[in-house]
Parts: sequence; structure tokens; C-alpha cells
Amino acid sequence: MDALEALDEMNRLLGSTDGETVNTSMRLPVALRDAAALAVAQFGAAPSTTTMTAAALRHALETLVMETSLRLHYEQHPTAEPTLGEVALALAAQDGSPLADRPDLIANAAVAVAARRADADADDVLLWAEAQLEVLA
Amino acid sequence: MRSIVLDNEAVQALADPHSAKHRGVVAHLAGAASRRRRGRVVTAVVPTAVRVEAAWDRTAPSAAAINRFPVRDHTLDPPAADVAAQIQRATSTGVADAHIGATVRSLSSTDVVVLTSDPAEIAAVCSSARVTIVNV
Repeated sequence: MDALEALDEMNRLLGSTDGETVNTSMRLPVALRDAAALAVAQFGAAPSTTTMTAAALRHALETLVMETSLRLHYEQHPTAEPTLGEVALALAAQDGSPLADRPDLIANAAVAVAARRADADADDVLLWAEAQLEVLA
Repeated sequence: MRSIVLDNEAVQALADPHSAKHRGVVAHLAGAASRRRRGRVVTAVVPTAVRVEAAWDRTAPSAAAINRFPVRDHTLDPPAADVAAQIQRATSTGVADAHIGATVRSLSSTDVVVLTSDPAEIAAVCSSARVTIVNV
């Protein structure tokens, strides 16, 4: 099975509405299990430790699928990869932020942030741009 | 939790790497991935009536590429069909847009975003729902 086939199968499995459950032999550190039990019992973090574990696992897998699908797409279509500034602008629009109307400010913020932090993400850019907006106000 | 709903134009742009709007729609999914890395729950959904309008047949070999993006179907089940019919009657919109309105109303997300090329139409079908409409 190659990467694309694995991704397709993961997508199929994660999109399945089959609610069948299974007991697994997955081993968890005892301390982690006990901390999760306390989080559920004392802080209502989830209906049960099983629900909490399944939700965390689903979140991690869906994030991996989303990131991998984008990475493989960029490999096949390099011009489709948005810049850091373009991703930040998209998030500003989704957030309904006034920054969505300031692509110039976001583009400059992306350059400034990326120059300081190689692993910066779009929210770092938005925070920087928001600060610039405050300063300019 | 945020749900990003795609309309016909957004699907068409996502499906075609040569579309002028492709990179813009991909940027929205990349933003979703970025937020997920920060622990936020963000999902992308497509109403099935939109898939019909966009001719997105998940079983077609030509759909293999777009199928890889984790965009989940929101089905037009009987309750959704009833809501969509009410929207259609009130707005005289098309079936796909009416299904978008029904989808927005049924999502449990606290935050719903619709990617569309027709903000006015989407505003009409989502009139009673809190939604952020993004022009693509």
C-alpha cells in the first residue's frame, strides 16, 4: 500500500458511520489512564475515559489526514500551495476579522514573522498583524 | 468547533488545480489544518446536493484527488429535506443552496463558515442562522 492508498483508506475509515466498537489490546501507561479518569470524574472533561481517548485519537488522525492530503497535493501541484500570508488571510476571513480587508498588512506580517520564526504558523501572522493594526491606530 | 461548508463554486475550485480560485480554497483548508494543529476542532463539509450540482461523484476515478481532502458529506436526509424545502419555498433558491441553508442550521458547531461565490444567495438561505460567509 503506497501513501495515496493509505490516505484513501484512512479517509474511508474516518468517514465511516459504522458505530461498531471493539475491545483492543492497546496498552496505555497506568499514570495516563489514571489522569484521564480523574479528568473525567472531577472536571467533566468527557463522558468517559473511552470517549476522551477516542476523541483525541480521532482528532490526531483527522489532522494527520488533512495535513498529508495537502502535502501530497502540493507535491503534485506546487503552484497550488498557498503562502503563509495567504493562509493567514483565509483564516482572517473565516474569523470575520477586520484583517481580512488588509491583505497588505497580513502579507507584511507574514514576511516579518517568518524572518524571525521559521516554524511560524498563520495564527502567529494574524497576532503580529493585529498588533501592527493597534500600533497604527 | 468550526465547520467550513463548501458551495458549488468552492467545490469546483477545489477539484480543479488549474482554476484561478483553486489556491484560495486550498488556503482555507490549510488554515483549517493549521488551527487543528493548535488543538481546535475544524471540519470541512459538503452538502450532498452541492455534490450533485458540482458533479462530484466520489466513486468516479476522476474524483480520486478531491476525495483525498477530508471533506465530509452532509446528507440530505428526510429532516434536512424538509428544512431545505422550507428554505426553497421562502427564497426560490436552487436545491443545492437550499441544502446549504439546511446544513448550516443543523450543524452543532458553534462557528459555521460558508465558502461561496454568491454571498447574497447564501445570506438569504442562512438568514436565521449565525454564519460567516466568505467570498471565494
